[in-house]
Amino acid sequence: MTALANVPARKIVRAVAGAAERWSDGDFPPRVRILDRIAQRTEYSLPAVEYALDRLFFSMTERELLAAIVNELGSLDALDGFVAREGRPDAWASPAGSACIISSRTTIGVALTPAIFALCAKCDVLVKDREDLLARAFFETLAEEREEFGVAARAAAWNSADAAAPDLRTFDVVAAYGGEDALASIRSSLHAQARFIGYGPRASAGYITRESLASPKSIAAIAEGAARDLVLYESEGCLSLHVLFVENGGTQTPLQFAQIFARAVEAASVEFPPGSAEPALRAQLSHLRNVGAFRAAGGRGAVFANDAAEYLLEYDPPRDEAPHFLPRTLGIIPVDGPQDALTYVRAHRLPLEGFAISGDRPDAVQAALEAGAVRLARFGELQNPTLAGGHGGRPRIAEFVRWIDKAL
Amino acid sequence: MSAYGAEAQALDAAILGAIEQRRVTDFNALALRIFSHQLRYNKPYAQYCASLGVTPDRLPENWEAIPPVPAGAYKEAALCTFDPAQAALAFETSGTTRGVGGKHYMETAALYDAALLAGFHDAMLSGAAQPLRYLLLVPNPAERPQSSLGYMMRKVAETFGDGREGWFIGGDTLDVDGFLAAARAAQKAHAPACVAGTAFAFVELLDALQARGVSSLGLPPGSRIMETGGFKGRTRVVQRAELYAALADIFALGQDRIVAEYGMTELTSQYYDATFEGARIKRSPPWLRPRVVGPDNTTLPKGVVGALVHVDLANRSSCIAIQTEDLGVATEDGGIVLIGREQGAELRGCSLDAETLRTLAVR
Repeated sequence: MTALANVPARKIVRAVAGAAERWSDGDFPPRVRILDRIAQRTEYSLPAVEYALDRLFFSMTERELLAAIVNELGSLDALDGFVAREGRPDAWASPAGSACIISSRTTIGVALTPAIFALCAKCDVLVKDREDLLARAFFETLAEEREEFGVAARAAAWNSADAAAPDLRTFDVVAAYGGEDALASIRSSLHAQARFIGYGPRASAGYITRESLASPKSIAAIAEGAARDLVLYESEGCLSLHVLFVENGGTQTPLQFAQIFARAVEAASVEFPPGSAEPALRAQLSHLRNVGAFRAAGGRGAVFANDAAEYLLEYDPPRDEAPHFLPRTLGIIPVDGPQDALTYVRAHRLPLEGFAISGDRPDAVQAALEAGAVRLARFGELQNPTLAGGHGGRPRIAEFVRWIDKAL
Repeated sequence: MSAYGAEAQALDAAILGAIEQRRVTDFNALALRIFSHQLRYNKPYAQYCASLGVTPDRLPENWEAIPPVPAGAYKEAALCTFDPAQAALAFETSGTTRGVGGKHYMETAALYDAALLAGFHDAMLSGAAQPLRYLLLVPNPAERPQSSLGYMMRKVAETFGDGREGWFIGGDTLDVDGFLAAARAAQKAHAPACVAGTAFAFVELLDALQARGVSSLGLPPGSRIMETGGFKGRTRVVQRAELYAALADIFALGQDRIVAEYGMTELTSQYYDATFEGARIKRSPPWLRPRVVGPDNTTLPKGVVGALVHVDLANRSSCIAIQTEDLGVATEDGGIVLIGREQGAELRGCSLDAETLRTLAVR
């Protein structure tokens, strides 16, 4: 039996939402204490870290949690015992057991979302924490809300070579974020019947239709939104903008849009200053910037960047060049239609998570779907998914429960 | 002779003279002459410089202000002052995420040969009492004529060797048995050897020797090792200190006999560790000067980490100044210390995820 087995689901949800509400306060002491540690680990600027924490905890409301649970399980009560279901046997969404969440090293609080849903499913949860110990700090707040969380929610830091690393074979569910090799390794170390939820590396794209390049107001809004999608989290999130397609044929050309966009990136960089000034990254970006300038000097494309190489927009880069996946670095590709974008995505085998579209033109939406995206959003909202939505094309809580049917 | 030909010949003579004498009377003046020549005859470079406001009418004031072309530009255009179809030498640069390599075209082999031989001689052959036997863990130019490293080592072995050099990389395979036999033959003949190879080839060799139970392969006194190339694109990275300790141990050499060469296809000349002087500081020959720059391309103070720019007078027929992504620090005495990943400078932004995404994207 798990530590939360006898706690009503509604009380768990309220406790989680209560802890999140406390963490939503920028002056909440545990949050204040951890801020620098997160900035140090991620090398993001403090405003970016604050924003990330706001996004993370503001969304953890009782309403959002309930919406996700009810959408996926049919009712909250299903977590507490057998419920009647029309045309099907009574069923109980019982805890899947013990869950381990192994987070990646790049983004902030990535493990917390699956962790809280696993807790809502009444699983015992162990999170592999990062150096900033955010999960541990949040779990301490949870335990203040309800003491059962002190046992149910644990966080620890380890690496796979540690003797103290947990034996992954003992878990019923393992959710992991990381590279392909890391995921394969984790998967191979699980019990044969354990559930594995792998979140591999993914990228996001944007598509700007010619119709949306009609009015200055629309253009400014798209540029501002796309700039935010680019600079937030230093382009390291799976929902960060990694390539941008702009349609020919609008009243503004893609190149004109790129110029406006560059100004928007400069402006966004005031709100969210660049993170690391690590020399290797600057050397890499300045080299890429100068290669872009070399191309431009030969009449191919254009490049937008500042002297400090804090961002880099390559307009019309070679199509055989994959996205660089570097902070605040983006290829802006002029296209005649969604098929061109699809061709690029397929040629580079980009595993897409998100696809921002400047409207809902059916052929653009279709291209996004064909490209494999699992989140379609407007510019500026790409990195702002709701808790009630899925992630990586997966449900939030359904994988942490074990359905028991009763046909007595 | 055309005006171009006369000018090129005069410049080459001046550069060859400097190489021969190991002295550049006026580096600044010669660098600006070469750059001016390139602005007039190397169109893609000239276009790039023009975009930066540098034209034949608006030349830089000194060699440090010569705009460096990014090394990646070699993949974008034929960067040479002459018809590349007439090149005496053409070496391929490494590929990128596009899988596209570039070429460094050279109009004459004379400059390349003179620069590489002089640089190697001064850095590697100090105290060598007799011709060395070259045991080569680098691409064989017979198989890969496009490899500058292979060309270089063939030229070195032909010029400075005992005539019994051996090549032990065939395709992508290391000929361990062949190497073992050659090393033991050198031992038996008391023939001092120079083992030259990439860092990764050395790691592979050490692994293979260990697998065969070979723990000692002492080379005769006077032997030495030249390591080059690093681990770019390889999954197994070994700390350089660890590698050198293992090499010194198995070949029974002092670590001061292990010299790291630093070069790149886009350059004609090379840097070497001043190991024989007791320091792992890269020294350049007089006709090659480094700059350590920030992202705005300005020269950084000594001791500050930045990107390396190389100004190589021997690059007369291509681009005199090359910007790299390599990191380094300038020392007070004109040398550089390379800062690599193996020294802890992990690339920020190359997160696990981004790295994998790049890999996925180019598969």
